[in-house]
Amino acid sequence: MECGVATAQRAKEIDRAMAQAAAAKPPYDEMYAPDGSVRPHFAVMARRLAELGPGELDERQRTLERFFLLQGITFTVYGAESTTERIIPTDLLPRIIPADEWAQIEAGLTQRLQALNLFLADIYGERMILKDGVVPRELVLGAPSYRREMQGLYVPHQAYANVCGSDLIRQEDGAYAVLEDNLRVPSGVSYMLANREASKRTFPGTFRLAGVRQIDRYPDLLLSTLRSMAEWRPNPQVVVLTPGVYNSAYYEHAYLARLMGAPLVEGRDLVVHDNMVYMRTTTGLRRIDVIYRRVDDDFIDPLTFRRDSSLGVPGLFNAYRAGTVVMCNAPGTGVADDKAVYAYVPEIIRYYLGEEPILPNIETFLCREPSELSHVLANLDKLVVKAVGASGGYGMLIGPHATAAQREEFAQAIKADPENYIAQPTIQLSTAPCLIDGEVDTRHVDLRPFILSGEKITVTPGALTRVALRKGSLVVNSSQGGGSKDTWVLAEPGVSPS
Amino acid sequence: MMLARFADSLYWIGRYVERAEHVARLADIMLTATLDRAETAAQVARIALSAVGEATPEKIASPFESARALALDRLEGNSVVSSLALARENARQVRDQITSETWERLNLVHLRLAGDGASKSFNDGSSAFLHDIIADLHLFKGAADATMSHGEGWRFLLLGAHLERAQLIGRLLEVCFGRGGEPLDHPTLTAVLRMSCALEPYLRVYTADVRAQPILEFLLLNAEFPRSIRFCTDEIEAHLSTLSRHAEAVHAGPGRLAGRLKARLQYADMAEIERDGSHVFLEGVLAECGDIHRGVYDAFVAYPLEMRLPA
Repeated sequence: MECGVATAQRAKEIDRAMAQAAAAKPPYDEMYAPDGSVRPHFAVMARRLAELGPGELDERQRTLERFFLLQGITFTVYGAESTTERIIPTDLLPRIIPADEWAQIEAGLTQRLQALNLFLADIYGERMILKDGVVPRELVLGAPSYRREMQGLYVPHQAYANVCGSDLIRQEDGAYAVLEDNLRVPSGVSYMLANREASKRTFPGTFRLAGVRQIDRYPDLLLSTLRSMAEWRPNPQVVVLTPGVYNSAYYEHAYLARLMGAPLVEGRDLVVHDNMVYMRTTTGLRRIDVIYRRVDDDFIDPLTFRRDSSLGVPGLFNAYRAGTVVMCNAPGTGVADDKAVYAYVPEIIRYYLGEEPILPNIETFLCREPSELSHVLANLDKLVVKAVGASGGYGMLIGPHATAAQREEFAQAIKADPENYIAQPTIQLSTAPCLIDGEVDTRHVDLRPFILSGEKITVTPGALTRVALRKGSLVVNSSQGGGSKDTWVLAEPGVSPS
Repeated sequence: MMLARFADSLYWIGRYVERAEHVARLADIMLTATLDRAETAAQVARIALSAVGEATPEKIASPFESARALALDRLEGNSVVSSLALARENARQVRDQITSETWERLNLVHLRLAGDGASKSFNDGSSAFLHDIIADLHLFKGAADATMSHGEGWRFLLLGAHLERAQLIGRLLEVCFGRGGEPLDHPTLTAVLRMSCALEPYLRVYTADVRAQPILEFLLLNAEFPRSIRFCTDEIEAHLSTLSRHAEAVHAGPGRLAGRLKARLQYADMAEIERDGSHVFLEGVLAECGDIHRGVYDAFVAYPLEMRLPA
């Protein structure tokens, strides 16, 4: 397990360096304006907080944790000695987003997913964008997440990424920016829904007063999105495919299956015969039409992808190719949320839609472009450099906090293989009030809204707000000490929330 | 129609919950018996331990430790904590098939047993602890009955529970009245009735006449008592005949076996059973329960695919 410890330590170092870099510029606070006054959309909540004693909040927090544990809203933690279930740390205090900000987010995410779906249809089809030289050919075709098997396949409505969870952050000036698109098998939506249940119980009066928009139609919308992918079948049978009870997101798979009324199947429940997919039922085999799969591309079919996978279904991909079954998301969507392709998304939006991006990217320098490479090398002390294919903190340099020797070492690595590196300025995350050890304190947060695309694109008016629970930290991942909280999207004043 | 794996899991939830309840009750009665004469206490411990596992002289001699192991030892396959962990594991597999109310009950009792406080609670008041576990499991069954649709999944849950119950009671009777058994004294016979949760219902039928023969008759053949083997068989048969309604003729296997067993118990004559030796009858009943279990698998869960492929 030495490797694991090293990774965890390295991740902590990176976190510390990023936090120090961010501390240089004051973050945008969700609740308080720089002059210390409460922002108008937080006013109702601020009044309620002033009424509540600190003990009272703590009490509510414990009630909430008990509710989660009882419901089994847990994720699995794999340890060296034993495997345990933990509740995801949930913060009571909701993050609030006013109607005008949400309108921008909604329009921006819709635009972005529209463009990314067109991009996927293009690169698995005519490849016009590559021929026109807007995105470098080898960047796409050489990416490990590019699936040649998808070439020329018909995807209904050109909806490749049926479920997308994009990570947004708020820079110090308060502007939202997209940090990452998750087009593969994004998770977290069950926590969005569970957090809402919790915050309704905790702040019922404030919730009503504030005019919060509803998110409980998500399962319903997900089901109709999935069904819209198999319109040729009169009453398509939808299933949720999970890797199984030991997967860390199993709770979410079961939760969505239950709320959609769709069977939760594992690979071993499915059989492919004559290019049709069936599930084993008590009365024999039954045909299925749409698979909402929560299994990564690599593992869905040992005959087409990884041979050692026991989670998948042999022959599934051929059935998909034959068009007898739909998989959501489509295989091969990962190529559009790749770190290097990310830098081209603004161009991709302009290319397909002829519009300016509504939500900006974080400024990203591609070392493969000679002019950007020289800028990166000249400004190594100000930038964060990442290797495109690496994760977990390896192959990452935090310029402002690296030694001269480290920077020199990295400069050599970049020059040797410029295509493998991108650089970004140090990022900042906004802060929001959180309940920490019974006291209200501020912590950094990001924002993950969920976008559905089938026949049409829908953005659910809510999101998972992820919280970095360590003071000053910018790491919001649940695997590294992150928590989450509810996100209240407010209706236009005078409009009834729906 | 439901996923075969779901049917399998629901069936096992039924079995494990029933087993947990039975073992908790046996552990409790074994502890209560320690207040009796030493011979009775040892006799009761022997019966309880043999009915759910192995009765070694050491285990019989230390009933408190044995009861504790039956309740809380994770390495003991039949312990309450093990059965409930498995029941919950199966429930997690079919979390979308059972209602939140039902899940919550099972999760709660699992957390209570697997939590850090369990050992202390047992030491502080073992009888109260076991009593609460049994009450929690009754709440689970009540929640399932009151909130789940009484459809296929619910029937597999109850099929498992009743088959398990028939086998557990059958095994208990075998230990008490089987081959080469010695006559049991009055306090032990009363304890046996308690182990089957049958004392009060028995007294209402037979009055305070506590003897081996009527106890055997009650627990084998009574039509109304929910823990008699006859009652369980009626339930098994009823659930299987509904479950097989949608199935093709080849699936009729377990239904036919259950119908035959039901008829045998319905028309059995106690005098005849006694004449041939009750152990012979009991062994036959237990063997048929085993056949029904295998039949359920062949018909609904582990059927060969080539027979079910569309033409």
